[in-house]
Amino acid sequence: MLCTPKSKARRRYLYRLFAANVVYVVSAFCTKWVFLHLHPTGAVVYLLAVIPALPVIGILAIVGLYIAEESDEFERSIIVQSMLWGIGGALSLSTIWEYLHDFAGAPHLSALYVYVFFWIFMGISQPIIRLRYR
Amino acid sequence: MKNRLRVLRAERNWSQADLAERLEVSRQSVNAIETGKYDPSLPLAMRIARLFDTTIEAIFIDDED
Repeated sequence: MLCTPKSKARRRYLYRLFAANVVYVVSAFCTKWVFLHLHPTGAVVYLLAVIPALPVIGILAIVGLYIAEESDEFERSIIVQSMLWGIGGALSLSTIWEYLHDFAGAPHLSALYVYVFFWIFMGISQPIIRLRYR
Repeated sequence: MKNRLRVLRAERNWSQADLAERLEVSRQSVNAIETGKYDPSLPLAMRIARLFDTTIEAIFIDDED
């Protein structure tokens, strides 16, 4: 089965990914709530604004940790290749979109979408890369 | 790179899953190596050779040979 996590490293990776996503949702929700209801000022604003970004950065670290912990070199190569597709796809799409915004009147897209594009391309590329080795 | 992995495995009546378990890799890894679509690193090639009690050269065949 393509999606069955076999190795311990893979299971740890999925567990950490899930935990980090939960932390992200909670921190994003709490930050939004604080800004809406408590109206912070001064340096606290900067500190609070950065909080939801931390689990997002953590997710990238979790992928790095998986690559370091995975003992199956073939699985490592699959994830590294899919990350390259993710990076390439995200940078390409955001560059195209930026020019569409500048010259063709496309709506402005938040820089956060680069991260979303990265995961979309990474997710789509994994099964395609695996097909090459069947 | 061509290899004799399928033959060696068949001689022992092992499935791809059996070999994968012995090498502590995924079944897909074994399949990719067997079909010559993925060349294992030197440490993995050594593990494979040790498992079959033979040499790396006896399992993997250089395409230029």
